[in-house]
Amino acid sequence: MTTTQTTAGEEKQRQWTKLAADILRLAKAGPRGLRSLSGAVLSDLIDRYQALTADLARARSLGASPSTVDRLNRIAVAGHNLLYGHIGASRKAGTRKDWIGAFARAVRDSIWAVALSAGLLFGSAVASYVAVQAYPELAYDLVPPGFYDFEPTSDEHMHEIPGLARPLVSSSIMTHNIQVTLAAFGLGLTAGIGTAYLLLFNGLTLGAVAGWLSAQGRSRALWGWVMPHGGTEMLAICLAGAAGFLLAGAILAPGRTSRATALRLIAGRALTIELGVMFMLVIAGLIEGFVSPSGIGYPARIVILAVSLAAWAAYFFLAGRSRSASPARTFGESPESASGA
Amino acid sequence: MDDSVSIATPDHVTLDFELAGLGSRLAAMLIDHLFIILLLIGLGLLLGLGNLFSFSSATPWISALMVIVSFLVFWGYFLFFETIMTGQTPGKRATGIRVIRENGLPIGLREAAIRNLVRIADMLPPPAYLLGGIVASADARGRRLGDMAAGTIVVRERFELAVDFASGAAWAERVERGQSRNAVTLPRGTISPSQLGVIEQFLKRRADLPPERRAELAWQIAEPLIELIGGDRRAIAASPNRGLLCERVLADVLDMARQTRRIVAAAAPVATEGPGSLF
Repeated sequence: MTTTQTTAGEEKQRQWTKLAADILRLAKAGPRGLRSLSGAVLSDLIDRYQALTADLARARSLGASPSTVDRLNRIAVAGHNLLYGHIGASRKAGTRKDWIGAFARAVRDSIWAVALSAGLLFGSAVASYVAVQAYPELAYDLVPPGFYDFEPTSDEHMHEIPGLARPLVSSSIMTHNIQVTLAAFGLGLTAGIGTAYLLLFNGLTLGAVAGWLSAQGRSRALWGWVMPHGGTEMLAICLAGAAGFLLAGAILAPGRTSRATALRLIAGRALTIELGVMFMLVIAGLIEGFVSPSGIGYPARIVILAVSLAAWAAYFFLAGRSRSASPARTFGESPESASGA
Repeated sequence: MDDSVSIATPDHVTLDFELAGLGSRLAAMLIDHLFIILLLIGLGLLLGLGNLFSFSSATPWISALMVIVSFLVFWGYFLFFETIMTGQTPGKRATGIRVIRENGLPIGLREAAIRNLVRIADMLPPPAYLLGGIVASADARGRRLGDMAAGTIVVRERFELAVDFASGAAWAERVERGQSRNAVTLPRGTISPSQLGVIEQFLKRRADLPPERRAELAWQIAEPLIELIGGDRRAIAASPNRGLLCERVLADVLDMARQTRRIVAAAAPVATEGPGSLF
């Protein structure tokens, strides 16, 4: 009797040690390690992992020493990370996401945030535009000094950028604008204060510049310059503000859940909007770098504005409607087996 | 901030994860920011050298590309590495910590994107990470704002798995013999293994004790247990045969404890049928 009992303990010890070594080796090898295993070896590994988790459960309930529980737990955690490590990839492979419709749906579902953002951005822009025209001396507080004595290169648009500089101008504008929208999005976590500040600041500055140039009699050049890219750009910034306010909404009015849970539930939609915004700003940046500073005529500029606004309107009202019943709605809303609290 | 968090996995096993301390998170972040700065300097040098030696029609495009790549390095470093290294960056790997989802599963692109694209809020006032630090210190699971939005936590990863299992093996044998040291359930409560040990000792040695001492000890040990097995404490206390009755109580308790153990030991192999499951 004694001999079999001794073997039982030693057998356990041998199994644990071997599994720990296998897991360690595979974990060090990264994703390739697991993939290189044959089906039989893999299923044996899973069996041994499950045996270990059973041992862990018994170790907890049948009074093993804390150090034994700790060691078994450590192996189980490493095994869990190894075996479930690539669930994310397979989770996405199953369902084809409607990426194009997701952005439009996320915006449509967030009308209050879009309205708030638009009110702050365009409201402050209009206010400062009117104010600077009525009281031009305000411009010295609101307009960047570079615009005080600005001389447009033509009546049709403000400046002609030489072809060689356009790629750099375009990419700089693109990255700068995306950075602004990332700030508007992320600062939603300051209960919306940072987002509101950014929207107001940008609205006031843009409105003041427009008001100042109009007061100087440059309005035709100004609008000629702004029109090709301006519609897409302003819309994108407005939507980024909305994404920020979605996060702020979860913090300020979490409803029946905790703030952290409310935040987690809304974050996917806010991220979808921000990703769409970045895409819009890539388009706007290309136009601003290559089309706005080119020699195209005033009517063409009006047409570009009209077409871009109509396209966005059509997209946001129509895209993703047919599948609106499908449960996978926004960016990677995963089937949660969630531990919420 | 507690130092560990329990998560129930899809296997219905509870795993204890050790939360990463703010110190190791700070260290990881400093390492990562150092890498970012080095990468940006490297890119700048590359661009400078390229323009120095040759100027062609491609130069404006290369400059534009550099602007975009620098932007991607600055904003995408954490996102990129946390996605491809499932929750780690070079800095996190160096300090042995990892980002996982709140339910214990590894993070993917979605979680990495959320927690890193809102990083600017945690950095406030930049680059002090004051807001994120305060929020993480106040949270029981050490989550900064980005973690809450992404539904993630940062845990310590321990790899020294090849450890000595001598005490574990000894425990496995005790379980095999039905002698695990767990608490025993009686009809109206539980008693601890150490209490059982006292009873065993007493019943073994009672014949050697002087009668008065024996009756007194039996009363002292049995008194708190009488009601746990449904006995009448007052009746026994008043009885002239108090000592004897108490010894009977103790014997009953021991019997019940042995039965419970046998049930636990017998039930275990049925509950799990994994290979090599010995219990």
